[in-house]
Amino acid sequence: MDGSSHRGAGSGVEATVNHEWIIRLRGLAAGYRGRAVLSDVDFTLLRGSFSALLGANGSGKSTLLKTLLGLLPPIKGQVEFRHIASPTIGYVPQQEQLDANYPLSALDVVLMSAHARIAAGFAVPAGERILARECLRATAVEDIAAQRFARLSGGQKQRVLIARALMTKPDILILDEPTAGVDASATTAILELLTGIHQERHLTILLVTHDFGIVRRHANRVAWLRNGRLTEGDTAALMTPAHIAEMLDLA
Amino acid sequence: METLREILAPDFLLRNSLYTCLLVGAACPLVGVFLVLRRLAFLGVALPQISATGVALALSLHVWFGPAHSHEHGANQVVAFIGAFTFSLLAVVALAYMERTRDGRTDGRLGTAYVVATALSILLLAKCPQAEQSWLSLFKGDIIAVTNGEFRRTFILLALMLVVLGWHRRTFLLVSFDPDLANILKVSVNRWNLVLFLLIGLTVGVAVLVVGPLISFGFMLIPPMIAQRFADNMKQLAAGASLVGLVAAFAGFYVAYVADLPVGPASVGLLGAAYVLAFVVTSLLKLARPATAS
Repeated sequence: MDGSSHRGAGSGVEATVNHEWIIRLRGLAAGYRGRAVLSDVDFTLLRGSFSALLGANGSGKSTLLKTLLGLLPPIKGQVEFRHIASPTIGYVPQQEQLDANYPLSALDVVLMSAHARIAAGFAVPAGERILARECLRATAVEDIAAQRFARLSGGQKQRVLIARALMTKPDILILDEPTAGVDASATTAILELLTGIHQERHLTILLVTHDFGIVRRHANRVAWLRNGRLTEGDTAALMTPAHIAEMLDLA
Repeated sequence: METLREILAPDFLLRNSLYTCLLVGAACPLVGVFLVLRRLAFLGVALPQISATGVALALSLHVWFGPAHSHEHGANQVVAFIGAFTFSLLAVVALAYMERTRDGRTDGRLGTAYVVATALSILLLAKCPQAEQSWLSLFKGDIIAVTNGEFRRTFILLALMLVVLGWHRRTFLLVSFDPDLANILKVSVNRWNLVLFLLIGLTVGVAVLVVGPLISFGFMLIPPMIAQRFADNMKQLAAGASLVGLVAAFAGFYVAYVADLPVGPASVGLLGAAYVLAFVVTSLLKLARPATAS
């Protein structure tokens, strides 16, 4: 990647972030069956930011994500949304979560996001099909719309899932390790795609990743989970060698 | 040819049996599609057996509560239907609840349910030779006499099931394929899973009572598994499974009629042969086109 395409701290993206929050967690405790995995977590997702959520396996990233998505009710504290009662969240899951047993085309997978807009029992309206194709075009996979989702490469699957998330016309895009199991060139292409979407649509993006390079190049905000606690701030401040060493217990 | 003409004649003596076979053959695979896709094939084996235990209980009621229940065929049929339906529903609700709470392993639970249901059926009928004979006929899938009333009831209930399944097909697919997305879209996964399991229970209860557990689980599982080897989308899978079931039901009935065999084993045997053939054909096709595999 050349310097002009870098979108990390200090890059052009910083200018698109206003410091108004869109989601805020205050004193949140979250977990399963009443047992907290995260406790007393404060987190602010800024409108228009490209944020990265970092943390070791088992640090509570998925728990935080599920709480933000409304899949897991908080044990304590609350999830606040600014201006809107509940923003539309486009979610991109890890591709392995989706069972290859289902004979679904890429277009079928994208159209699932339009479920609420399609009346039960009736055929999918032409407008929704057109929108689904537009979303596939936006992620550069319109040519594989008819192909079976399960047979696509990892990179193609991620693009289809990003298209599916865009189909919800989201305010926020949340991606759970979108580059896991994807080769280096496809990883670069997916991140370039996300950066493009971020800039063109002024979407707020929250990305879960283990890749520090991605965070440095693309994110302008970082949230770091460690031992059930969350540290957040600008990428420039949190991605210093000293802080990384501290978060990885290498200091 | 003469036999075929005889079978297809409107005044054919066993026409209700034939129509019932065709109905079950076309409808059961559509429910089975979801069992196969959700990798709950063993549920398709256990549920009919549990449902048959309900029939066994109903047939042996007179042993436990007096002779009043043993005489009238119509009344017995109603009691048997209630038994099959109630056991199916209780089983699917319990299994759906355990699925939700993720308490233990699904395959272990279903295996346990299967063997316990079989043992319970045998125990219930041990003191009642007449009921045992009826139940064994049902268990073997020996469909000879289906009354007009039984056929009508089967038709109405299966048609109702198909309407609900078809009407909400996209919701059932969404909660099955990606429950997280469903929740984000504010679709209640638990509620729709329950509705789907109830439809499965209803189908099993209805089918077991008229054709027995063997045909029920044979037609629920094998046609979708055959169609799955060829289908590229959900429409092809559903239509293919239903068509395979319909053809196998007719062919099984024909073979059984000509060779004087029980219909159930004949149909399921044909389905088994069709599955082996489908497996061989798709494997050869895959070998012939290695470059397009990925």
